[in-house]
Amino acid sequence: MDLSRVTFLTLAALATVSAFRVVTASKIMHAALWLGFTFLMVAGVFLTMGAEFLAAAQVLIYVGAVTTIILFGIMLSEAAEVRGGRDPVAPTTPKGPAIIRRFILPIVATLAFAAIMIFVYSQAPWPDASAAPAGDTVRLLGSALFTDYVVPFELAAVLLLVALVGAIAIAVRDDHKEEQG
Amino acid sequence: MSFPVAYPLILGAILFALGLYGALTQRNAIRILMCVELMLNAVNINLIAFGSTLQAATAGQLFALFVMTVAAAEVALALAIILILARREKHIDIERVNLLRW
Repeated sequence: MDLSRVTFLTLAALATVSAFRVVTASKIMHAALWLGFTFLMVAGVFLTMGAEFLAAAQVLIYVGAVTTIILFGIMLSEAAEVRGGRDPVAPTTPKGPAIIRRFILPIVATLAFAAIMIFVYSQAPWPDASAAPAGDTVRLLGSALFTDYVVPFELAAVLLLVALVGAIAIAVRDDHKEEQG
Repeated sequence: MSFPVAYPLILGAILFALGLYGALTQRNAIRILMCVELMLNAVNINLIAFGSTLQAATAGQLFALFVMTVAAAEVALALAIILILARREKHIDIERVNLLRW
C-alpha cells in the first residue's frame, strides 16, 4: 500500500459517502453542500490520477460556479424551505402503483448497472498502469487544445455564449410576460 | 497513477449509479439536476482513467474538459428553466409539471 493508493482510496470513500448524502439528505440545502464536497473530493481524485489542470478546473468550475449557482437556485425557488420550513417535495416512499415506477425499477436498474460495470472492470485484462506522463500536462493540454482540438474548442466557446444569452433571455422574457398578464 | 486503473473506473461506476438512482427517484427538479451533475463527474473520472491507461492522457483530459464546459452551460440553462417553473407554478415538483406533456 503506497501513499498514492491510500490517498486515492480515502478520497474515493469520502466522495462515495458524500454522493450518497446528496441523494438521501432530507434538506435540499444540505444536499447541495454535500454536492460541493463531492466535487472537491473528485478534484482530489483527479490529482492522484495526474490530471493537475483538470483538478484546478474542477475546483473552479464545479466547486466555485456550479455549486454556487445551484445554491442560488435553491434560495430563489424554495424560499419556504430555506427559511426553515419543510421541503415541499421531500423524498417520500411512494405508495400504490407508483411504488414500482419510483422505487423498485430505479433500484433494480441502478444495482444492475453497478454490478455489471464493476464485474466488467474487475475482470477486464487492463494493460499495466502507465507511468504518469512526464513533463507538465498543462503545456500538453494547451498545445493540443489549440492544434488538434481547435474546432471543438471554438464550438465550446460558442456553446457557452449561447447558453449565457439563452439563460438570460428565458428569465427576462418570462418577467416581461408576467408584468403584462 | 500507481494504482490499478480499475480503482477509478469502479469509483466512477459507483458515483454514476448513485446519480442515476437519485435522478430516477427524486421529485425535486433541483435535486435531479444535482444528480445529473454527479453523473457527469463520474464520467469525467472514467475519461481521465481511460486516457491515462490507453496512452492518450491528453485526449482523455481534453474530453473531460469539454464535458465540464457542456455541464456548466447545462446547469445555467436548467436553473433558468427551474426558476421560471418556480415562479409560474409555485413549485418545482416534476411529478406535477405537465406543461409539455403532449
